[in-house]
Amino acid sequence: MSEQTPRINARYLEKFVNHTVRIVGKVTELYGDSAKIDASGTINLILTRECHMTVGNGVELVGKVQPTGDVKVLSSWDLGPDVDYNIADAVVDATHRYKDLFYDV
Amino acid sequence: MSQYPSDLKRYGGNNYDTYGGGGGGGFYTGSQGGGGTQASPGSEAKGRGANTLRPVTIKQILETTQELADAPFKIDGVEISYITFVGRVRSVAEQTTNNTYVIDDGTGTLDVKQWVDTDAVGDGSAQQLNGQYVRVLGQLKSFSNKKHVGSHKIQLVTDFNEVQYHLLEATATHLHLTRGPPEQFAPAGDGSAVATSAYGQNRGTGDVVMGGTADAGGRLSNVSQNARIVYSTIKKDAESSEGMHVNNIRIKSHLPRDVVAKAVEELLAAGIVYTTLDEYHVAVLD
Repeated sequence: MSEQTPRINARYLEKFVNHTVRIVGKVTELYGDSAKIDASGTINLILTRECHMTVGNGVELVGKVQPTGDVKVLSSWDLGPDVDYNIADAVVDATHRYKDLFYDV
Repeated sequence: MSQYPSDLKRYGGNNYDTYGGGGGGGFYTGSQGGGGTQASPGSEAKGRGANTLRPVTIKQILETTQELADAPFKIDGVEISYITFVGRVRSVAEQTTNNTYVIDDGTGTLDVKQWVDTDAVGDGSAQQLNGQYVRVLGQLKSFSNKKHVGSHKIQLVTDFNEVQYHLLEATATHLHLTRGPPEQFAPAGDGSAVATSAYGQNRGTGDVVMGGTADAGGRLSNVSQNARIVYSTIKKDAESSEGMHVNNIRIKSHLPRDVVAKAVEELLAAGIVYTTLDEYHVAVLD
């Protein structure tokens, strides 16, 4: 189903090439049209003009995983500094362990 | 998040605190299994669904089944009544009698309708939720085969961690209903629960006989593993009607002092034991 955006982190990038996914991570580097986040490993982001991120803050994004392993961001939301990344990891783990609740295929 | 627990309590079934999942959260809102006394939640669930609040994902809502046209919806074979979920508002349509929100939680999208309070019409507050994460509390409806949720409450999520918390809570509830309670919460008297104590390896063999708790199984099903150990220690080794001194409980049960104190407090609160000579002597209430 196209409306689903499974939550993933860096460990699941390969499995979700060409899929639209949802990622929570911490912004580590920010350039004009790209950024790096940490989500159980570094992920390179290709940004659009509408992306507003802050280095050090958490970000939630919906994006498409490119064959290169980069993620092209479709939408993103700043989450501020108080994000518990361990819970984010636990959610990604649960998402793929108990797929029935979260996504098809 | 801060106001939320009171709502949970109001809508949740009386099982809500059964497993002591902590003040704010608690995972087992939908435990229609009757605290583990019923072997098959699905078959006996009828009628209990009316008072439960279950955390779910939108995908679960979209996949609910109905045996007959007007029969209650079921998830994991268990009737649902009130449901709660957390998602981002994709769009808001304000109408004269109701507002319709399209909510997306990453597992699917769903329409949520909320009746407009006529006194508060047109304050524009609905549009402010657009793009934000909200927690929705409501009941699932179906109209011309299209599902929507009629909501009693749509509340802005101010702490992003609540989103993650909700997804884990929905997962835990699903697992609870499909696989039964986690082992350490299994009813007392069930032999399989004995080995799960964190202090199991420190206990001398034969010091604590758990089998003796069967007569209090009903009462003990709601207390912690440590409280059960303390209970069986008193039951087995108390020499008189004065019961047992907490220091002796500590020695016999091989539990640390603070753990014993906490367990005794728990048993006292549950009315399973009572104090005798002074506050340090505890006897089992038979």
